Amino acid sequence: MMHCTMDDLLALKENEASAWAKQHLETCPACRAELDALYQRIAALKALPVRRPARDRWPAVRDAIRADQRRRRRRWGAWSLAAAAGIALLLLVRPSGGRVDAAELQRVKQQSATLEAELDRYDPDGRVTSGRTAALAAVLEDRIAVIDGELAQLGTPQAPVRRAELVKLWQERVDAMQQLMSVRVTRVAYVGL
Amino acid sequence: MTISLAVPDILVARARAGDLEALEALYRAFETPVYNLALRILRTPEDAEDVLQETFLEVVRSIKQYRGEGHLWGWIKRIAASKALMRIRRNQVRATEELDEESTGGPGSTGGVPMQIDLERAFERLSETSRSVVWMHDVEGYTHEEIAEQMGKTVSFSKSQLARAHARLRRMLDAEGAA
Repeated sequence: MMHCTMDDLLALKENEASAWAKQHLETCPACRAELDALYQRIAALKALPVRRPARDRWPAVRDAIRADQRRRRRRWGAWSLAAAAGIALLLLVRPSGGRVDAAELQRVKQQSATLEAELDRYDPDGRVTSGRTAALAAVLEDRIAVIDGELAQLGTPQAPVRRAELVKLWQERVDAMQQLMSVRVTRVAYVGL
Repeated sequence: MTISLAVPDILVARARAGDLEALEALYRAFETPVYNLALRILRTPEDAEDVLQETFLEVVRSIKQYRGEGHLWGWIKRIAASKALMRIRRNQVRATEELDEESTGGPGSTGGVPMQIDLERAFERLSETSRSVVWMHDVEGYTHEEIAEQMGKTVSFSKSQLARAHARLRRMLDAEGAA
């Protein structure tokens, strides 16, 4: 006597079985028992104990989210800086006094660009750092983001451009980046913050 | 395992805005079901934890695209299943599943000494592909069409995998009963 295959049983469960399988099931106790066993197996699978992860992965997820948020801020900062650089260029070409400020502005901007490139070479996400060092780096990155925001604001009608202020902000950015460089490269846990 | 996870809209809105506390609340709410899904499909707790982490990073990146249609768990589950299946494909590059299945030194035995094989152990001895199909279909309630789409296979592949997996489970459980 031919019995239902597993395909037939699964089709019966899904109500998609052939006429033969449906009819056979009516007359075959063995196949009915197989179908019952299939239902029981599925119920037992659903009732398997819930497993929980042995380790808490949230800190790793959180750190990755923070790194991503910082990257986004810095990317935004880079766009803002481009705008600020345009304003600075206007100042430099304007025939006015303050040659010393103009030269100084160019120098700190160059210094900032060099540090930016250096920092990019040190991928912070791929390195192991202590909690204190990571927190310090986060504070410095936030400070740089704030400075970038201020630089982007300069030149708006609410905040007309003042070259001395611009130089001061760029200098602060350079200082913060130098400190960040120290944290990243030497893993120092204290930079006088 | 029955999942009934209701998450307030305000929490989702805060998570969309990048609020870390809200994101952690979401993580805590779905950590166990995501881990369970991944663990049942994959071979090791380490792989399942990796999938848990990858799933939540994807959730954070994509949550702005979640429009609130359907249950949030359904959306997260889809991401988790996709990450787990991706890992299976990666694992398959290193080892063929058939060898794992036919091996006598699998998780259900130790050095030829017969072991009690209950359903959980029998399930663990299935290939990752078979486990994925069984778990997604029988436990998570995916249709064969949905499984086929997620796995990049045909509907008949999903159906035949399910039938073969159940036939194997039945054989393994019968062998246990006879022992």
